[in-house]
Amino acid sequence: MSVVGQCIASFIFGTVAGLLVQRSRFCNTAALRDAILFKTYRNTKALLVAMMILSVGFTVFISVGQGHPMRFDVGLNTFAGLFLFGIGMVLAGACTVSTWVKTGEGNIGALWALLFTFVGMFLFSLVWSADYWPPPPASMTGHPDLASLQLGFANAATLQKTFGIPAAVFGLMQAGVLFAIYRAIVRKERRATQPAKVEAAPALAPLAKPAE
Amino acid sequence: MEFFKKTLDPVIALIAIAVLDVFLFMVVGAWTVGGGETMMTGLIAKGILGHGIERLPFWRLVYVPSFLYWKIYISLGMFTGALIGAILSKEFYIRYPRRVSEWAMITVGGLLMGVGIRLSFVCNVSTFFGLTPEMNLGGYLAVSGILAGAWFGSMIYKKVLGI
Repeated sequence: MSVVGQCIASFIFGTVAGLLVQRSRFCNTAALRDAILFKTYRNTKALLVAMMILSVGFTVFISVGQGHPMRFDVGLNTFAGLFLFGIGMVLAGACTVSTWVKTGEGNIGALWALLFTFVGMFLFSLVWSADYWPPPPASMTGHPDLASLQLGFANAATLQKTFGIPAAVFGLMQAGVLFAIYRAIVRKERRATQPAKVEAAPALAPLAKPAE
Repeated sequence: MEFFKKTLDPVIALIAIAVLDVFLFMVVGAWTVGGGETMMTGLIAKGILGHGIERLPFWRLVYVPSFLYWKIYISLGMFTGALIGAILSKEFYIRYPRRVSEWAMITVGGLLMGVGIRLSFVCNVSTFFGLTPEMNLGGYLAVSGILAGAWFGSMIYKKVLGI
C-alpha cells in the first residue's frame, strides 16, 4: 500500500474509532482507574472483550505470516515508561485516545493535557539526544542486551517459530485467560449487587437518627 | 438518529473497533497513538526551530519529522470523529477545569504521559490494542507498568481529591 493510502486508511479508522469512543464514553484511563478506585468495571469489561477479539484476530493472521506486527526491542524502559504513563493518565484524567476525543467535544482540559504530552515528548527528546537511551530502532538487535537493559524481541511469531505450534493456538490461550478475568469481574459484580440489596435497609437506619 | 441520542454500550463500540483494528493490522499496523503524537511534536518543533531541530540527534535517528506518517492520521481521525459525534448528538460545548488543582494535575499528567510514551516506545493504545494481542513481550511489560502506574496514580488522586 502506498504511503498516502496508509494515511487515508488510518484517517478512516481513526474517524470511526473516535466516533465510537465519543458515543460510548469509553475511556482506557477509566477502565483501569475505576476498577482500582471505585470497583466499577464498565470500561474494563469492554477493554477485555476487545483484547480477546484482537488476540485471536492478530495471531490467526500472524500464523500465516500476514499482518504488520510491531517490531522493536523491549526492556526495562518499556515497564518504566508505562509506569510513568499510568500515573500521568490518572492525574490528567485522560489517556492518548480520550485526550483527542475529549478535545473534539470541546474539552479545554483535554487539549491542555495533549499540549503537555507534546511538551513531555519534546523534553524527552532533549534527554535522549544526550544519552541515546533507550537504543534507537536502527541499533536494535532483537536479542537481550543487559548492558542497555534490553530484553530483545519476542511475539506470537517468534513463539510459533520456537515451538512449531501455530501462533493462533497461543492467541486462543491468551483469549482464554482474558475471558477468565472477564468472567471473574462479572461474578464479582453479581456478588456486589446482591448483598447490597439486603444490607441497604439497615445501613440507612443510623442515618435516620437525629444528630446528637 | 437513535445512534446520536443514546449512549452506546462500550462493549459494542469496542467490538466494532477491535474488528476494524484487525483490518488496520492487515493494511498497515495495529492501532497506536503515541508514535503519531511524537511525529506531531517533531513537526511542531521543526515549525518553531526550523533547521535547528537537526542539532538534536533524536529527530534524526528516532523520528525524522514527516507529514507522511500514517499514525498522525489516526489521531487526527479520532479528533474528527469525536467532533462529528459531539456535534450531531449536541454534546459539543466548550468546557474547562474550574480549579487550579485540576489544571496542575492535568499539566503534570500530560508531561508524564509524554515522557512515558517516549521512554517506552509505546503508549496505552499500542499496549492494549497492539502489542499484548500480538503477544509481544513488550505488551506484558507495558501492561504491568501501566497497572502499577495507574494504581500509584489512583493513590495520588485519592489524596488530592480527599476521597
